Amino acid sequence: MTIVHRLASIVSWIVHRNRVEQQLDDEIRSFVELSAAEKIRDGIPAGEARRLALAEVGGIERMKESVRTGRHGALLDDVARDVRYAFRLFARQRTFAAVIVGTLALGIGANTAIFSIVDGLLLKTLPVEHPERLAQLVSAPPEDQQSWTYPIWHEFQRHAAWFDGAFAWSGFDSEFNLSSGGESQFVNGVWASADAFKVLGIVPTRGRLFEPSDDIRGGGPGGPVVVISYAFWQSHFGGAPDVIGRPLTIQRVPLTIVGVTPPGFYGVAPGGSFDIVVPLGAEPLLRGSESRLDRRTSWWLRVFVRLKPDQSREAATALMQTLQPGIREATRPPSISASAEGYLDDPFVLVDASRGLSGFRSDYARPLLVLMVVVGLVLLIACANIANLLLARAAARGHEWSVRLALGASRGRLARQLLIESLLLAFMGAAAGLLVAQWGGHVLVSQLTTDNFSLDLPIDARLLAFTAAASLVAALVFGVAPAWRATRRPPIDAMRDRGPAAAGAHTPMTNGLVVAQVALSLVLLVGAGLFLRSFDGLTRVPLGFEPRRVLLAEIDARRADLAPRERRATFDRILERVLAVPGVDHAAVSITAPLGAMWSRRIDVSGSKLRSTDAPDVGPEGFGFTDRPIPANVPLSMFNGVTPGWMATFGTPLLAGRDISTADGERSPRVALVNEAFARKFLDGANPVGHTIRPARPASSPPIEIVGLVADAVYRDVREPTLPTAYVPFSQAVDRSLVEDTTQTAPAIVTLSVRAAAGSPGRFAKSIVAAVTQVNPTLSLTFEPLDGRISAALTRERLLAILSAAFGFLALLMASIGLYGVTSYAVSLRRIEIGIRLALGATARSIVRLVLVRVGLMVASGIVAGLAVAALLSRFVAALLYDLAPGDPATLAASAATLALIGALAGWLPARRASRLDPTVVLHDA
Amino acid sequence: MARRDADTPEKLDVPQGTLELMILTILDREPLHGYGISQRLNVLSHGHFQVNPGSLFPSLYRLEQDGRLSAEWRPSENNRNAKYYALTASGRRQLDQQKRRWERVSFAIAGVLEGA
Repeated sequence: MTIVHRLASIVSWIVHRNRVEQQLDDEIRSFVELSAAEKIRDGIPAGEARRLALAEVGGIERMKESVRTGRHGALLDDVARDVRYAFRLFARQRTFAAVIVGTLALGIGANTAIFSIVDGLLLKTLPVEHPERLAQLVSAPPEDQQSWTYPIWHEFQRHAAWFDGAFAWSGFDSEFNLSSGGESQFVNGVWASADAFKVLGIVPTRGRLFEPSDDIRGGGPGGPVVVISYAFWQSHFGGAPDVIGRPLTIQRVPLTIVGVTPPGFYGVAPGGSFDIVVPLGAEPLLRGSESRLDRRTSWWLRVFVRLKPDQSREAATALMQTLQPGIREATRPPSISASAEGYLDDPFVLVDASRGLSGFRSDYARPLLVLMVVVGLVLLIACANIANLLLARAAARGHEWSVRLALGASRGRLARQLLIESLLLAFMGAAAGLLVAQWGGHVLVSQLTTDNFSLDLPIDARLLAFTAAASLVAALVFGVAPAWRATRRPPIDAMRDRGPAAAGAHTPMTNGLVVAQVALSLVLLVGAGLFLRSFDGLTRVPLGFEPRRVLLAEIDARRADLAPRERRATFDRILERVLAVPGVDHAAVSITAPLGAMWSRRIDVSGSKLRSTDAPDVGPEGFGFTDRPIPANVPLSMFNGVTPGWMATFGTPLLAGRDISTADGERSPRVALVNEAFARKFLDGANPVGHTIRPARPASSPPIEIVGLVADAVYRDVREPTLPTAYVPFSQAVDRSLVEDTTQTAPAIVTLSVRAAAGSPGRFAKSIVAAVTQVNPTLSLTFEPLDGRISAALTRERLLAILSAAFGFLALLMASIGLYGVTSYAVSLRRIEIGIRLALGATARSIVRLVLVRVGLMVASGIVAGLAVAALLSRFVAALLYDLAPGDPATLAASAATLALIGALAGWLPARRASRLDPTVVLHDA
Repeated sequence: MARRDADTPEKLDVPQGTLELMILTILDREPLHGYGISQRLNVLSHGHFQVNPGSLFPSLYRLEQDGRLSAEWRPSENNRNAKYYALTASGRRQLDQQKRRWERVSFAIAGVLEGA
């Protein structure tokens, strides 16, 4: 008998089941008749013969059951029947089913939403060919450098044949301007070497990708080219089929579009995205005098290799370390001496890059995992609630079960029926949850857009598998207890009157569930409390300035019609005009602004114990964006070049000495203001006024006299202690540490900060554009309110706080509903007892106490268990907290108190109802 | 499953797995209805095997589902409608197979018993 045949017969049995059952009935009847007829022939009276024949057959229902279960496909058939039965039941109890499905949709949806982000950001490999063979060039820890200079890439590239190719891809900080002046219109761009797409194995949707000739300095033979992303093609060109060959003007340079990348390709950083990719060779055209191709100090390229199929990463690393001394020596930055062993020996290492760059991954891994745990707990709490609901209903259906057991149904059958009901509920919840997840996931991702974050959240096999697994686990968690309970019931109960007699037996289980709920809710509340307090702490950090009244405008002169030597004068003229705008209180131009780029220098301060000659030569030095910490034993100070009025613009008070004034010009003696952190680091907190700063590099730097002390203000990050900072006059700021060419009077990019006399400063944007356009219409402008920049920097903490609070609230709500339900139910079971007590003279107060003691016990044990779990788990979030210990006693106490209060309320309502029972009514009903 | 009457201690349980063989053997001679099969089994086993309908019907239904048996409703000898089972070609093959198997088993068991 073939499988197909067998399957066909199973199907036909199921399809024709009614006919088969009918036939079985007929056949049994005919069996009895034939048997009886023979007995009559043997002389037994007709009535007796029939009775004997029936006795021979035995239990007809049981026999039918064994015929049913004996045949193939019986299980499938039974399951189908159970499913139909379950749906009939749900249709009868719509509210009950809807509440459960809705709860599950939220619980499973939240889990799926977070998982879709976790999967996209942390787990999935890059959407390229054989991602497992990609490796990234980094330097060994502790330096852990991921970015390289173009000269290093250029040297390295010559050995690309040692692998299956290599390529460079620019990291962050590549915004390209589409507009030719006025307010900037940015696209998100990437610089890439010629082989990038070939090595990744990307096939263009349209046109072609890069060829080696495109990467020639100054652009290929046909002029500079650009490749655009699928999304940009759709949004900017409306998916026009003739986009290939069209010009795209970037930074006022026309590039030719040669190709479109495929839809799923987002670059090499999960969570990242790009609009355009420009060959590295075209960089000098676009960046002009700011080109980084020849700079040995600009670390901006990520370097990747594709390993040969039989090449291990270790072997490739060993191969590369043979190259390292040569490449390092050939590309040594001028500031590092030839004998600097640390630099030349810092080994090249290849690390796995199958999942791409870790930028967003390292930022969001921990918060995402925390959220994953949080939503997992929420789902567990939801399951506990549903289990309680099902248990209550199982008690109501107890009579039905007893009857079925008495009629010969096996306990397994009943348990299966209940589990199938649970599974169906779970799968319906999961289906609705997928919708919730799609919506929730996108909302979450859009909350992260401040970080230029984008992530596709497709419903793929992985996601479906996760959702199915989540719903299966949920079904088991909430379905097993009721199924187990229901089948423990002795069949003899069927004989008894329907009533709550046996129902009381399930209270230990429901009580246990409520205690678990309370415990888990407490864990979530503690988490929510920690993240809320952490975020609150961050928003209360004394910034040292008043963010609400300041608007930042970044002025970019890189591609403007403006000679570098004219820059400072131009900026001064813009400042003059902006100051004349009505409502503008103060304004200043600066090299950088709070939470922006960092400019740090190694210095010596007169009278300081920290000496650059003794201190290790480590830590971030120079100008750029970095998260690297500033070691306390290294004489590094942050710098900023500011025009007079900066302190007034930001509202940072001057504590001693004098402010910078217009008298501190380019040719006057060098002066600086320093903050308190500077005084603490270099002078043990002594008054720094009168001390002298000597920059260690370049050696020719003139000494700078400290003329004033200002209050501490945030420089780079709200989360870190204030960095030691020196403010120097903008006119004296420019030297070799900022620009390589000293004919430049100012850097190409500066920040104009404007303070409103009153109200929001955003309304000045228009006047500022007008002022800038009047002075030079080719300058590019980008606006950002200072408070917006600060709030964007706290996105991670804000999201964690909001989400954990929302989920904590949800958990609290569900736990209180669970507690309320269980207490109400327990009270209803004890109606008679309470009625008797009341009849015998118990006071209402004593009844309330009776009920509340029970509730109190449950809540208290839940809180104790929850505190233990919370203490254990909170250690894993320590890194996400600001200025707060994970086991913060105040948070623990507040969470426990909240839960106790809610628990008391949830218990008090049924308790009060119990105390108001009318004994005569209750006892009469009984 | 089969309930044993206290007054018929000589009744034997049908050995595990042999009920199908016996059904097939009985039906090889002529088509029969369920009651007829149980009667024939009783007679052929000299009253030792009495198969309960609770075991007979599941076997019959499974054999029918597997295509070993075909069935039709027709009037019985005393004009009552009954479901008659007959061997199909596949049922006959199955019978041959099971018979040979049983012969080997019984030969083997006899050998063991005699040798001991």
